[in-house]
Formats: sequence, structure tokens, C-alpha cells
Amino acid sequence: MNHATRAAKFVGDADRTTWHDETLWFVRAKRDKAVYAVPEFQDLRELASQIKDHTLSKLDTYLEQFEEQAKRNGVHVHWAADAAEHNAIILDIIRKHNATRVVKSKSMLTEECHLNPHLLSNGIEVVDTDLGERIIQLRDEAPSHLVLPAIHLKKEDVGETFFQHLGTAKGEIDPQVLTEAARQHLRARFLAAEVAISGVNFAVAETGGVVVCTNEGNADLGVNLAHVHIAAMGIEKLIPRLSDLAVFTRLLARSATGQPVTTYTSHYTKPAAGKEMHIVIVDNGRTKQLGRPDFRASLKCIRCGACMNTCPVYRRSGGHSYDFTVPGPIGAILSPNIDMKKHSSLPFASTLCGSCSDVCPVKIDIHTQLYKWRQVLGEANEIPASKKWSMKLMGRLLTSPKVFGVSGKLARQGIKYLPYSLTHARHFNVWAVARELPTPPKQSFREWYQQQAKNPA
Amino acid sequence: MSSSREKILAAARANKPDEKPLPTVPDFGGDDSTERFTQVLTSIGGQVVWIDGPEQLQPVLKQLYPESRLSASPLFSGTVPVDALTSTEVLADVDLAVLPGEIGVAENGCIWLPEANMLHRALPTITQHLVLVLDHRRIVATMHQAYAQLPSTGGYGAFIAGPSKTADIEQSLVIGAHGARSLVVLLY
Repeated sequence: MNHATRAAKFVGDADRTTWHDETLWFVRAKRDKAVYAVPEFQDLRELASQIKDHTLSKLDTYLEQFEEQAKRNGVHVHWAADAAEHNAIILDIIRKHNATRVVKSKSMLTEECHLNPHLLSNGIEVVDTDLGERIIQLRDEAPSHLVLPAIHLKKEDVGETFFQHLGTAKGEIDPQVLTEAARQHLRARFLAAEVAISGVNFAVAETGGVVVCTNEGNADLGVNLAHVHIAAMGIEKLIPRLSDLAVFTRLLARSATGQPVTTYTSHYTKPAAGKEMHIVIVDNGRTKQLGRPDFRASLKCIRCGACMNTCPVYRRSGGHSYDFTVPGPIGAILSPNIDMKKHSSLPFASTLCGSCSDVCPVKIDIHTQLYKWRQVLGEANEIPASKKWSMKLMGRLLTSPKVFGVSGKLARQGIKYLPYSLTHARHFNVWAVARELPTPPKQSFREWYQQQAKNPA
Repeated sequence: MSSSREKILAAARANKPDEKPLPTVPDFGGDDSTERFTQVLTSIGGQVVWIDGPEQLQPVLKQLYPESRLSASPLFSGTVPVDALTSTEVLADVDLAVLPGEIGVAENGCIWLPEANMLHRALPTITQHLVLVLDHRRIVATMHQAYAQLPSTGGYGAFIAGPSKTADIEQSLVIGAHGARSLVVLLY
């Protein structure tokens, strides 16, 4: 199944699609308001981009520095080459403590590695504590957005889920009431948890500490009550200096939701007295992406989600249509690195309008990379034959003025005289599945121009 | 050491691009007024109350939280004594925590709270309501200035901006997700 097929399912519900589209555009508008209030915002984007470029260019050095500092802080550092190793390391730590009750705050990396199913199948109860994540965990769904994991759901959906799992009243759809029910339900889990897993927003090489940003406070509550903290991070989360956090914390929440900063920007550097802290550093394809000069800039991503809020395709096709942990434009350039065959349709889920690159806080050239992935996929024969041959034909047609002129004439006549069933044949003309063809003009621009040249006014 | 460590480091070394310079981040200046701080904090669900000094704390708290039974604070003897070893069960009952903040940031309304000021690491989020006490002369304009003033981040510390909140259900803002349901900053 490709992106278009999955998107077709989403747009089948027109009202919901419109709601989704407008809601995300509203978040984009909030982002703009927050951004315009900071006069140096464009300077900050440039600085963030340069800091990330620099870090990637010395990634090995910074990884070693980070590890050394973290160890000095009394933190256990682990390295995982892939998802399986990441999952095995975490299960091992949990087992060493004979623990079965685990709470987890938001981490796209653990989603990417499918940690939850691995822990559950090994008898560990793992509870997602971010409200949106908990909602989709109860529904056994994947997140559909980087920072708004349940944005594909309406409050009626959440109400029904909570009625089934948390015992709220049937038909209760007030977000205030539902959130309070989740608070009570999760508080019991927080108090009972033996191990807390968190993601990492930034890892500071200079201090060996990690920073986690949340609005709900779920990371802090989980980590600070449990005996063991496990922080999972991709190797690209590094930044060199503590002071660099100023640049990124000024960009992150403004770009993500239009807030001036997240409610909690928490710095975990050393375990509390008598407790344990582990950091799992994960590659899982990232060093491979680092070796692709055209695509390595995707590793600068700070997971704000601004590119999806602004994307006309994402807003109207929903996060699940991407079928990848990270959806939207950034997901479409990260996913082919992981599995080119499986995700071959994603770089085509874009109009190449460039809005994603315009809002990216670390200035990733997302739309250029989408275009470049299309070339790579074409070379690797990973695009459908119909698309490949029609593009080849189109290329011929558009590079020869003569052929172009003749085809134009034929098309104008064709639209006029051919039966509708043929011009709109579903298999032959996919473009016209949901569109009408225009009324053909009497003459082409070229014909009109030549006429004008002959009879100047 | 683990072979994955060597593998990852070797791959990073082999695949990294030519070295690019690390930029110097300027201090962008900005508005460090208490008015700006108050305006931003209010807009994100916090509340600012002026007091004459730390000694005026108790009467103001009585007025603000007439209902709260169990309080914890390093600034006065609260009803619950809390330290780093306090059990989860005891912490879970705290209604009100009153803690000294270190640095306020006017551009986003956050306050730096280091571990040393928290009594217990979980107290700022497990308490139902949170009060941070801040000297108004410790307000800076931006995060650049805040980080420049931090001697270190210690073992644990957080910038806290307003009460715990979520908008995960249809983007409707709800105050009081998992952490403190309200945040009052007492400025003096």
C-alpha cells in the first residue's frame, strides 16, 4: 500500500479531513505569531543550523566527550547499533532490577524501535504517560504527529476510549473531564512505577546531561519518583555547549505549538542519591544517513513538527498515511534511508511548495531533499512503471518544441471529441479521478502569439 | 568496551562531512522588565503576585490557598517535612509546595529551579499547586542570559513556565495535566 492509497482512506471522511486541515493550520498560525514576536528569530534559525552542522561534522568527538562526562556524573552509558539492541539493553536493565512496572514519557526513538511491544511480550507493563500517547496506546494505534500524537482523533473518539478503559461516563466528551480522568489514572501508575523511560530532546556534550521538554510534566514526575531512569537518545541529539540550549529552547516550542517555551525544560545530569540513571545512545541507520551528503542535513531535525503543520499534503492526508514513525515532510526524507522499497511513495507525497523548509527551525532543505530522493528512487527503480514511463514521455515532450506543439493541438481536439469515459478512464488518467478537465481553449498561447506578431496592433 | 560503541564511533568518523565552524552566539539583549515577565507568564496560565519580602510569605499564602492543608517549603516550616528521602506516599499528599526560584526569564515566563531548592526532585511536579518565590532583580530578558548566569545545571534542574498543561484532546487547552495544577510566582 502506498501513501496515496492510505490517504484516500483518510480523505474519505470529508468533515474530519477539513477539521484536521484547519486545526493544524491554526497551530501553524500560532507558530507565526510567536515567531514574529522575536526580532532575532531568523538569526536563531541560522545559529541553530550552524551548531547542528558543526556537531555532525565532529559527531564522533562529541559522542566520546558526552560519554566521558556522563560517566563522570555517575550515569551508565550504553550503545545500541540498532533497534533490537536498544530494546534488549532496556529490557536487560529492567530485569536486573526485577521490575515489571514501567512508565514512559514521550520518545519517538522508542516508537521507532518498537520498544513497547518488546517489553509487553516480555511481561513488562509499560505505560505511556503523555496524554496523547496514552490515548493512542489504549487504542493500540501509532502516533500520527511528532508533538500532537492523537491529532487524528476527535474528543468523541477519546471519550469512547476512556469510557472503555478508564471508566468515564458513556458520552463524556469534555476535554477537561477526560484529562482529569487521565490524571487520576496515570497518577496511580506514576506512584507505582519502578523504572521510568524518557526520550531526549538535547544531549549536551560539555556536561554529559540530557534535556527533556514537556508541557505536562510527565517526564519529571515519572523519572523523579522511579528508582531507575533510562533515557533513550539518537546520536543526532547532541549539541556541544550548555549555552547552545538557549538557541534551541527559544526555537523549539515556538516552532512546534507557538508557545514561548515548553512548561518544563528539565536537565537531567546526575542520578539522585541512591538511584540509577542510564543513557542508551542509538544509531539505527543514523550513521548511514550521515554518509549521504545530499541527505545528512535531515539529522539536524529537533522534532518540532512545524513542517507537518504547514504541509498541505500532511494536513489533508493525516499522519497515518505515511506509515512511518515520523510522518510529514521530515518523515518523507528520513524514511527512505531506513527502507527505500517500503517508503518509496513518501517523497512523492509533496507538492514541493517548500513551505516545510521555510518554517524549519534548523533550516533543513526538506523540499530539496524530497526532490533528490525522487531521483534516487527513480535510479533504483523504486517508482511504479506507469509513473516512470509517463515521466519519460513527458520529458521527451517538454524538451522538443515541435512535439510539444503537435501534442498540444492533439490534446485540445482530444478533450473536445473523445468520450468522457475515455478521458476519465481511472486506470489511464489517474489525475482525473477527482478532477474535471478544463474546457479546451480555441488556440494555444503560441498560436495566439504568432497571430499577434503577424498583425501588430 | 561494547563492539556497538566502536562500530557507531567508527561509522560516524568515516561518514561525517568536513569540519564546519561552531558559531559564537551573541547576547541579543531584549526586554528584562518585570512587566514583560508578568505579561508572558500570565498568558501561559501562571499568576504573578507582588510581596514586600520573603518574610511576608505566610499571610499571602493563607490568602491565596485558604483550602490547602498539607504544604512543604524550605522557606518556612510547612506541615509536611520533605527531604530527598521522603517516600512517594507522603509526597503524593502534598497540596502546596513553596520553593525559591533562582532566575526568571522575561521572554517566556520561565523560572530556573535547581535541585537544591526543591527539597525532593519530584516535589515541583507531584504537588497539586506550586508557588515559586523570586527576587525581581533576578529576571533576565532571554534564555541566553539565563544560561550565562547558571553556574551549572547541577544533578537535576528545570526551567518551569506556568502550570502543567496539555492540549492533546482536540487541541483544547487544559491546565493541570500531570504536574502542578497552578503556578503562582511571588515576586519581591
